[in-house]
Amino acid sequence: MPLFRRHLAVSIAIALGTLSLGAHAQVTLNVISGGSQNMVDYVTDYLGPLFEKQNPGVKVNVVGTGPDDAGSQKIMEKLQAQKSAGMATWDTDVIVPNQQKTGEMVRDGLLLKYRDSIPTGKFAVSQSAKLALGVNVDGYVMPMFESQTALAYNPDLVKTPPASYDELRAYVAKNPKSFGYNGLKGGMSGVAFVVGWMYAYGGSPETVQQGPYDGKPPAGWKKAFSELKSFNQQVVFTPGNAGTLDMMNRGEIAMGPVWVDMFESWKAEGRLAPNMKLKILSPGMPGQPYYYAIPAKAKNVDMAKKFIALATSPEVQAEGIVKRFNWYPGIDANVVKPALDPKVWNQLFVDVTPAELARNGKPFPLAPYFKDLREQYEAQVQN
Amino acid sequence: MRRPATLLPALALLLPALVMVGLLFVYPLVFSLTYAFRNETTGGWDLGNFTKAFALYGNDIALTAVVTVLSTTLVGIFSVAIAGYLTLGENRRAVAALRWIYRWPLFIPFVVAAQLMRTFLAKNGMLNNALMSVGLVEPMHALSLLDWRGVVITYVWKQLPFAALLISGAMASMDRSMIESARGLGAGRLRILLEIVVPQAMPTILVSLILSFVTMLSALSVPMMIIAGSPTLLTVDMAWRVNSYGDYGVANALGFVAFAMSGVAAWFYLRQGLRAGGQPR
Repeated sequence: MPLFRRHLAVSIAIALGTLSLGAHAQVTLNVISGGSQNMVDYVTDYLGPLFEKQNPGVKVNVVGTGPDDAGSQKIMEKLQAQKSAGMATWDTDVIVPNQQKTGEMVRDGLLLKYRDSIPTGKFAVSQSAKLALGVNVDGYVMPMFESQTALAYNPDLVKTPPASYDELRAYVAKNPKSFGYNGLKGGMSGVAFVVGWMYAYGGSPETVQQGPYDGKPPAGWKKAFSELKSFNQQVVFTPGNAGTLDMMNRGEIAMGPVWVDMFESWKAEGRLAPNMKLKILSPGMPGQPYYYAIPAKAKNVDMAKKFIALATSPEVQAEGIVKRFNWYPGIDANVVKPALDPKVWNQLFVDVTPAELARNGKPFPLAPYFKDLREQYEAQVQN
Repeated sequence: MRRPATLLPALALLLPALVMVGLLFVYPLVFSLTYAFRNETTGGWDLGNFTKAFALYGNDIALTAVVTVLSTTLVGIFSVAIAGYLTLGENRRAVAALRWIYRWPLFIPFVVAAQLMRTFLAKNGMLNNALMSVGLVEPMHALSLLDWRGVVITYVWKQLPFAALLISGAMASMDRSMIESARGLGAGRLRILLEIVVPQAMPTILVSLILSFVTMLSALSVPMMIIAGSPTLLTVDMAWRVNSYGDYGVANALGFVAFAMSGVAAWFYLRQGLRAGGQPR
């Protein structure tokens, strides 16, 4: 027994010793990222080590909470819990949430207004840096990247790909079960397809995207949903964003809506047949940014600002966001482009041209319209 | 008169466990059951969440009941068959092989099982490819099983070893003299299984099936990864309400429904335990 006790005492002492040593030597910057695994990889493999190299003694600790609203909801609930508990400082320094939840967090006073105090703040020029699904987030966020949905197709099976929702419907009527999407609950690429459908057939897309919200859906929604319901009879449902790409790979479907960055990354990694192509259906399919934001009572505010300034510098946006991860830059493209090899820059726009992106890339609807849209899809299309 | 003195340490020893159960299980449970009746817009209490839950997810509730009951039934049939063969089988090698192999899925988590099935059951997945190469299925008629059928297959595959393990244990510990005498009188193995072994193992069979039922009712990863589109299972809808709308009201109402379903199973479990001799097992 005494031997055991001595062992125990020694190991406790060692454990405490290492703990306190670690605490003295370093500042830990806690980053929580929503989004898919590639966004966590981005910080673990690229941005974190770069920041640690530039700031000796700082350790970047990143945690991923998962894609879509679910992942960002977790971040919000964590901050809300610390706020309601009345804590003086919160244990999270930088967060990477999606649009919908960022708007809610700004409204709930969970975020810090920091953009004008970092040197790269002036590069945030896009519309989404000011408005997140209708909520004014100006000053609270820096866009990390912009992402876009598009129709992926297999040119071996589809010789002339549909360019619009109308052409897609005609094609699917002739070739049932050639098109697949992941419905509403299986990930955002399916949601994006439904949103694009409503922009095309539901009426008043400008109001739905920019407001004002008047509490009732546009008159055309009912008809658009019932048409979508009959369209759904001729399509294949896929299990998730990745499920759509998997089914295309196995030749079970010839086309489906996907995220452009996911598509390009899979292609680059050899997980997708190299001949697959992309097209944004007109009148438009939605895309979204992810944001960098700082919680209102973050512990290491200055370090967090420094981290975001690095992440949104033209060099990092060029090398990390565009070249390594195939996203569209979050900051002004005009300052990113000179920092990149023209070949790499053009690679980003092989399938989707900048003109096409500007014309057919749309935002998601205003938050209240978006909620109505999803709930009515559940009530009118799924039931 | 020594009672209070011995009661105190006993209580002190129990207290941490009771506090843990109370804080981490009873409190959240009561809270979520209560808040299923909360109307967040008016601040009052009503059945609004339930109306919405049944209007939007009525089909899903029915499907959840069908899928779990069907899976439980299949688990029951197959696990009795496996355990029965392990107990009554005469070919030693076959028994040894079965004993070795049937437990494997037990060590695979639900989410991994779902991931396996995603590629196994797809239209051009491994199952159909194998059937095609043997010539059993025409490529044109290959079906994707990635819907509720896929969930049933995954559930049965995953829960079968658990039930079979418990049941074969109960069968092995039975007094073999009855089996031997029935055999001596010329009864076939199937008859021995159904008329002598199963009735004696019935309490264990029921308990293992009830536990399987509750486990399958609560699995989120399997329907989420396997079912494409709708209708889907309750757990997916609950996650969807919380994640997409931040709507805990309807999610709690759905939870209430799921709890009612498992409540039925719990009632059987307790009744079974009481009948078998006082303490539920």
